[in-house]
Amino acid sequence: MQDRGRLGVLLVAPALAAVLVLFVYPLGYSLVTAFQAKGGGFTLGNFSKAFEFYSVDIGFTLVIIGMSTLLIALASIAVGGYLTLGENPRAVALLRWLYRWPLFIPFVVAAQCMRTFLAKNGLMNNTFVGLGILDVDQTIGFLDWRGIIITFVWKQTPFVALLVAGAMASLDRATIEAARNLGAGRLRILFEILVPQVMPTLVVGLILSFVTMMSVLSVPLMISGESPTMMTVDMAFRINNYGDYGTANALGFISYLMTATCAWFYLKRQVR
Amino acid sequence: MKPNLALFAALITSAAAFAAAPAVAQQTTLNVVTAGDQNMVDYIKDFLAPRFEKSNPKAVVKAVGTGPGDSGSQKIAEKLQAQKGNAAWDVDVAVIHQKMAGDLVREGLLAPYVRDVSTGRLVTSEASKNALGTNVQGYVIPMFQSQIAIAYNPALVKNPPKNYQELAAWAKANPKKFGYNGIKGGMSGVGFVVGWVYANTPDGDKLMKGPYDANTKANWDGALGKLKEFNRSVVITPGNAGTLDMLNRGEIAMGPVWVDMFYTWMADGKLPPNMRLQLIGPGLPGQPMYYVIPAKAANMEAAKKFVEMATSPAVQAEGIVKKFNWYPGIDAQHVKSQLDDKTWNKLFVDVTPQELASKGKVFPIKPYFDDILESYERKVLN
Repeated sequence: MQDRGRLGVLLVAPALAAVLVLFVYPLGYSLVTAFQAKGGGFTLGNFSKAFEFYSVDIGFTLVIIGMSTLLIALASIAVGGYLTLGENPRAVALLRWLYRWPLFIPFVVAAQCMRTFLAKNGLMNNTFVGLGILDVDQTIGFLDWRGIIITFVWKQTPFVALLVAGAMASLDRATIEAARNLGAGRLRILFEILVPQVMPTLVVGLILSFVTMMSVLSVPLMISGESPTMMTVDMAFRINNYGDYGTANALGFISYLMTATCAWFYLKRQVR
Repeated sequence: MKPNLALFAALITSAAAFAAAPAVAQQTTLNVVTAGDQNMVDYIKDFLAPRFEKSNPKAVVKAVGTGPGDSGSQKIAEKLQAQKGNAAWDVDVAVIHQKMAGDLVREGLLAPYVRDVSTGRLVTSEASKNALGTNVQGYVIPMFQSQIAIAYNPALVKNPPKNYQELAAWAKANPKKFGYNGIKGGMSGVGFVVGWVYANTPDGDKLMKGPYDANTKANWDGALGKLKEFNRSVVITPGNAGTLDMLNRGEIAMGPVWVDMFYTWMADGKLPPNMRLQLIGPGLPGQPMYYVIPAKAANMEAAKKFVEMATSPAVQAEGIVKKFNWYPGIDAQHVKSQLDDKTWNKLFVDVTPQELASKGKVFPIKPYFDDILESYERKVLN
């Protein structure tokens, strides 16, 4: 029996070591250096610098990602809802086939595509002008905060929609049929029958999206100029231009706090 | 269960041993690590490596890129710092930005190799001696010199501004037609901001030559306030390439670019051939990239041979000037004789050698450089 216990420890050791070395150690290291002055010793200077320089960007990051999360929620409910309640089998099949594509495209590629697509004289506006919908003078570029939100929503909706659609499909269809028999429209069924039942799945998907988006550097860097920009860009800038890991780690600490709040909700749901 | 575990351990050990074994005995692998965009890696891999391997059959050149901008140089510096205690370092030749060169020399991480290389005599430029305030003579040979200038579309701009003052007036009269990439998206924007500070404060010379005085930045409020005002009527573009993209699509009519990128994009058909350059007064900065050899490079002799070849007039002419549109790293007169007039003149159509000499500035010394960027963050972005 003792032998088996030891074997168990041995078996779990590589995975545990990997987690410790590759995750816990760097996390702890960056947390500690966030509170370290350049010569060593405890300081809160990194944080006061982070807030002095980047408080706008911290707020901006929350707003951008908050709005993106909200839009992702709406879009994925729409996709999942149509896949469950849609009455045109061809349209449902087409949507089912199409909506997952962005899942397989990395953020950096998505950003590169959006950069030419959303520009003032980019593919999107040129198409509108070509179709006669817009005049050349009316076009506007979206290469700013709006572009970041569009890219995030485009990239993350399939992920949440995949979870939501799966959850909706596994619901007892009798509840839908019952509502339909009593005369409920599709929209009403979606928001009063389906969404409340898949809410746990939806929230988990959104939390994971939120955390993913918090960490993306390529999208804000490639889509938008600066001012205000997202915290990841500021972290990279602190390190690359000043070799200032202290302030960068302080910013990292602040984003840990944001994601940790989300993680707390996530774990609470998991335990229940 | 146990034998399986042993087998697993054996497999791991043998795999590790296999990975550590040299591929072919007696062959020298020269690790050339470069900061900068992909074109730098391509230049080493496709242009320099075959030439070097031809004349040194036992050598294999491995080109490694560490990424664009100062962050690329930062990665090289961090790698060398991490290996400091080792007997031999696995970087044989490095190509780094000017900003990092001073730090590396001060930390004793570079070899004073220039005296052992015959092409060392061909470099007398200021950039080969002084890197943002640090004496680097003997440790570096410039690979090339690059310059920031204002690119403009002559169809939209008939009389391009000749200095910062005219530019500011033009941008006000033509809102959202001037674009630059701020300070977080690449060096052409950083250079534009540095030039703005040179133009709008009396401190230009002091910033470039030192000595450093922490109080100087207190005098910049006026200049940065004007820049904040200026920023309201311009477009902030996403990156060096972002400025060129927007010029190409006609979204902006003017913006600061690296001269070499400008010509390369034009040669690739990514920029209309009618675009022009203007080096505005009092001047815009440029910078070299340096060939350096780490103090304990594993293949020191081969590394010296490599740099010697890379800085020879023939290679500088063919590779640096003709292929990549950079200004040569070694003194120009040695390179000019290797090229036909047409190729040589192409580099100097819009920006004449005289203009380059008078308006091509250097970046400020490092503490001032950091001050400018931080003041911009504090006063212009906040």
